[in-house]
Amino acid sequence: MMEISRRQFSLLLGCTLLSPSLLATSKTNLFASAIKTEAGGYELLVIDQAGQTTLRHRLPARAHHIATHPHEPVLAAVGRRPETFIDVVDYRSKALIKRITSAAGQHFYGHAIYSPDGRWLISTENEIATGRGLIVIRDTADNYRVIKQFSSGGIGPHELKMMADEKTLVVANGGILTHPDKGREKLNLESMRPSLAYIDLHTGTLLEQAFMPDKHHQLSIRHFDVNQAGTAVIGLQYQGSKTDDVPLVAFHRQGQPLSLVRAPSVTNQAMKHYCGSARFDKSGSIAAISSPRGNLVTFWQADTQQFIASTLSRDGCGLAHTDHPEEFLISTGRGYCYRYNCQTQRKEKIKLSVPAHIAWDNHMSLLIS
Amino acid sequence: MSLLSITRYSTMSLALLLTIPFASADISQARWLKLNQAAVNEHILPGYQTLADKSKHLAADSASLCKAPSQTTLKQTQASFIETLNAWQGIQHVQFGPIELLMRNYTIQFWPDKKNLTSKQLNVILSAQDPAALQPEFFKTASIAVKGLPAIERIIFADNALKQIETTPYRCQFLHAVSEYLVLQTQNTTDEWQTYKQAFSTESSEEGIYETAQEASIDIMKAQVEQLEVIRDLKILRPLGNEGKAKARRLESWRSQNALQNIQMNIQSLHHLYSGINTYNLFQLLKEEGATDLAEGIEQQFITIESALTKLPTPLSQHIKEPAVRQQLLLISQELEQLHTSLDQSMPALGLLLGFNSRDGD
Repeated sequence: MMEISRRQFSLLLGCTLLSPSLLATSKTNLFASAIKTEAGGYELLVIDQAGQTTLRHRLPARAHHIATHPHEPVLAAVGRRPETFIDVVDYRSKALIKRITSAAGQHFYGHAIYSPDGRWLISTENEIATGRGLIVIRDTADNYRVIKQFSSGGIGPHELKMMADEKTLVVANGGILTHPDKGREKLNLESMRPSLAYIDLHTGTLLEQAFMPDKHHQLSIRHFDVNQAGTAVIGLQYQGSKTDDVPLVAFHRQGQPLSLVRAPSVTNQAMKHYCGSARFDKSGSIAAISSPRGNLVTFWQADTQQFIASTLSRDGCGLAHTDHPEEFLISTGRGYCYRYNCQTQRKEKIKLSVPAHIAWDNHMSLLIS
Repeated sequence: MSLLSITRYSTMSLALLLTIPFASADISQARWLKLNQAAVNEHILPGYQTLADKSKHLAADSASLCKAPSQTTLKQTQASFIETLNAWQGIQHVQFGPIELLMRNYTIQFWPDKKNLTSKQLNVILSAQDPAALQPEFFKTASIAVKGLPAIERIIFADNALKQIETTPYRCQFLHAVSEYLVLQTQNTTDEWQTYKQAFSTESSEEGIYETAQEASIDIMKAQVEQLEVIRDLKILRPLGNEGKAKARRLESWRSQNALQNIQMNIQSLHHLYSGINTYNLFQLLKEEGATDLAEGIEQQFITIESALTKLPTPLSQHIKEPAVRQQLLLISQELEQLHTSLDQSMPALGLLLGFNSRDGD
């Protein structure tokens, strides 16, 4: 099994050099994602374009997002709140390079990214004693030693992204205070104040912060994506009453306030106050937002901020763009994976060869670009 | 002391369950289909039909009350309200399909009403006495809090309900308008299920609501499990509050003194869904899969809870502060927890996962 995948990998290298058009038929790796196994364990999986499993790495506990190194076959599986581990894995040699443990008194929130040059691993963390959100920077060239940490600009920092300038970090401060002693209980729903913060990676300076307007302060900002033009699309999670009618998607551009938008009323309601993942397509013109509680994924036009379409996807949460504009991958808690094209509005199930009865976790990370 | 021993018992039984060597479940779509068909035709559709029928009686009785207010017509309206409420409690666990559309589930019963919105908004309407608020058009845009059972309950179970209706006929007219709107909601739900049930009639479907019959079964299983959480958390533990701080007005339907019966109707219906459906049911399926002990255990847990509920004094709202009642309710909440655990255990035995990202996302 291992032999074959090594051979496949050599094949991939050859193909990349020879002809990109061969890529689609060769067995290059397609995506990585955390899973829950049938037996209740947690693993990191890598799937190739033929739907074969090329890596199964056992994780110490449940992970959330998988950070991908920009130019090495390295993945960082980040423990979800309130876990304290990140497993850095070489998916070619299948070796665990490093199990990072968060500093005493801190835990991860399930998200990290590599800097575009691959030198730094940047994670969101909680300073448990104060509840202060942190951005922590580790040096990949020095055994992932922490070299710096600074405020995320709010409580409950979650997903983070790098702007195209390669020095401005964007961080979603969910606003929800939790404490490991109280499990995942939300402790400040009355006073929460979510924001999207723009921070200078090198100095930690808070450059700009877009707050959720007061009347919508219970709309948590946790998952978002940024396109090539610097527009952020955010999938919101509402913490208020089940019968409230609130917008569940937001767009943001630096220098402007958050722009809250909603799908047509039946769809907006069907999203059940919860968005799990947000991703732009390859072109950056269309955004996909998953709503696993409502079993659907909605699609949005980035420039007009208009709702375009939706597709049913049972327990669907993980999203990634493909090599084609307007096309997305969707992974589900039922263990399925789909390819959805916005132009044709067609959804096809991808044949997977994976362990039986797995559940794909919250996010999927594309391994081709 | 007794609480502690029950906790120990649950932990023990959980450990036992975990070690039962289930064969890897390989249940055909045909069997899931059979399970779905039985649940839809013998549990869900009759449940909605009963609710629609009882709502119609309630609307007719409230019309009679408005026409000739008397103790007799009031009592009759109250009785048909209780029957409608019971019918709702018997189908409340089904939170998928047409009931989700236009927030019908919340429209029929806005509860828990933490800010007492129903009373506040109802009072505004009743004091304004605007004839427009009696028209069907009004209800399309009216607050969700004044369109269903809680608004009706407040009018007919108010102190001096009859006297108030006699002096202010508008109260009764609005009552009738709400009950007619309830008929519309419940009848539409019933009618739309005639189409929606197609989703439960195939083994697999490319473009349908469910890709496979097993997917559809998961929605039915969720209805079973999630209602147990609602009963325990909202209907029992929330009114109980902390030691010595029980709040009767947090009980569901305390005005009509139906809180206990609501829970009994819920459990009775969940029990029916589990093992009472004639053609095929989860209990049978589990036994066929070799999980006989688990199947029988769940059946016994239902019986234990039903029996414990009959021992509670009624109306619950008048007794909830009594230490003995509190103790009984806490025991029942533990038993509900245990039943929940057993049902959770049955899911992997059947190769099912109720929901991963949807039920435990971040």
